[in-house]
Amino acid sequence: MSDVAEMKPRDRVLAALKREPVDRTPTCNPTSVATVELMDLVDAPFPEANRDPELMARLAATGYTELGFDTIMPVFSIIQESSAVGCKIQWEQKDNWPTVKMREPIWEKLDDIKIPTDYLLHPDAQCVIKAIEILKREYGDEVAIIGKTMGPWSLAYHCMGVEPFLLMSLDDPDQTKRILEKLKQITVEFGVAQIEAGADALTLPDHATGDLVSGEYYERYLRELHIEFVEKIPIPLILHICGRTVDRMDYIAQTGMSAFHYDSKNEPDESIAITGDRISLVGNINNPETLFSKGPEAVEAEVTKNLEAGVQLIGPECAIPLQTPIENLTVIPDTVKAWHKN
Amino acid sequence: MSVQKLGQRIELISMDPHFHDISIGLYRAEGDSPKFRVHSYSGKDGAQERLGFIRDAMVVLGGMEDDGELLSFPCGHAHTASVKRAFLEAGKLSSGDVVAKPLNTIDKKSELTMTAEKLGDGLYGVTAEGEAKGKERRIKVVANGLAKLGEMILVEGRDDHVQFSCQQDHDALTGLLLVRAPNVRALVREEQMASSRGVLSAPSQQ
Repeated sequence: MSDVAEMKPRDRVLAALKREPVDRTPTCNPTSVATVELMDLVDAPFPEANRDPELMARLAATGYTELGFDTIMPVFSIIQESSAVGCKIQWEQKDNWPTVKMREPIWEKLDDIKIPTDYLLHPDAQCVIKAIEILKREYGDEVAIIGKTMGPWSLAYHCMGVEPFLLMSLDDPDQTKRILEKLKQITVEFGVAQIEAGADALTLPDHATGDLVSGEYYERYLRELHIEFVEKIPIPLILHICGRTVDRMDYIAQTGMSAFHYDSKNEPDESIAITGDRISLVGNINNPETLFSKGPEAVEAEVTKNLEAGVQLIGPECAIPLQTPIENLTVIPDTVKAWHKN
Repeated sequence: MSVQKLGQRIELISMDPHFHDISIGLYRAEGDSPKFRVHSYSGKDGAQERLGFIRDAMVVLGGMEDDGELLSFPCGHAHTASVKRAFLEAGKLSSGDVVAKPLNTIDKKSELTMTAEKLGDGLYGVTAEGEAKGKERRIKVVANGLAKLGEMILVEGRDDHVQFSCQQDHDALTGLLLVRAPNVRALVREEQMASSRGVLSAPSQQ
């Protein structure tokens, strides 16, 4: 039991992001917890819920109203600003994720990059901004509203293609760095626009993932940029990188980001041993095997493992599969609450 | 409507092509005896009628009983794999009269007519009518398919006999499983593809 008086969800999340005392560990989804059943519940299906702010806000709110998380995160996908700057999008159907057609890149090299001056007015950027405004109006200071702005590494994948960009990072480090410098404008501007709309914190996915990019790469290309984001975006930032990332967690902890949203490929114990009290950890309930395929008991075990390791905010490791059973999601806050009572 | 405690969801039709792409779940209800609930969170007009149709179709196709809310098998056993199959097959139907499948089917690969002969106590023997190369092998494939799809027991020492663990006959269910038994691999592939939809992968994996 904590000595701290009962907190509102928003206060609980913001305190945990600063590693300040909390009444209990918050449950936090820096990425989507939307499912096809929740879409039916509020009549806000994909792909429309990625393009219509009313639907986006309505579906996102179920994370708080139905699942019991301490956060609401309306930016389900990772493609909104990429669409706004001109990437081709496959919008898919209700039961699948919209994706950028990365095999049809819009830019090849530094000189090609022309960020449209009005991209924040594009409907797919406006959708996010307006959804946050709606949620802020509706939930005020009760629950933490988390926005999302993609980092330059992810944006480069989207705009230039994964393979061409990775090859360039090997062959031409200077051009690679200049591209990242140029793309960071989108990260900052879209993030600030969401702050003005009412976001309390921002997820910043930057997919320097463990499977393709080494820790040394992170240090070389991204650490300084991420420090700069902390300086330029004046609310708590939650860095998200998928995969095995213990080889870069020390670098990540040096950035000043409020939290790192970490993957289940990293053990809670080993991760917190690296990050300590320099940065909060959020996670890391496994998606494909546990949340999607197993039952509430398995979810409970992973939540407990994170709590026992001292992980500051508990939630799924990434955007959950759209077919995830609801009972596997409601058990996350239930387990956290029960653990703190014992 | 709000999120409800429905039991453990064991199967999902993520988009019903026959009714506004709603999602329909099959839940194993809480309780000692195995009972199943067909549910959707959709509030669309007609959704309850659609669920009613699927329940009715499961009764016919799977030989299940419906108490107006929950479905079960007369033998009182769960037969979880079978009830999932009955649910998925019912969901593929749009409307109209549903007829139970017979205990024989054409094996498209060999053109043989495969029959599941009822031998009592939940035991079925697979036979094949017609001439084709590898006839015995096809019989074995179908028996194995029934065992896999229906979680039936392969009778020791026989390549052609399968039995329900409850030792009670399930003719309608066996007929339903028999249609898919000759090509279980394709079915597994189809289901793996369906379940991999909606899993977000990092850009590097796309």
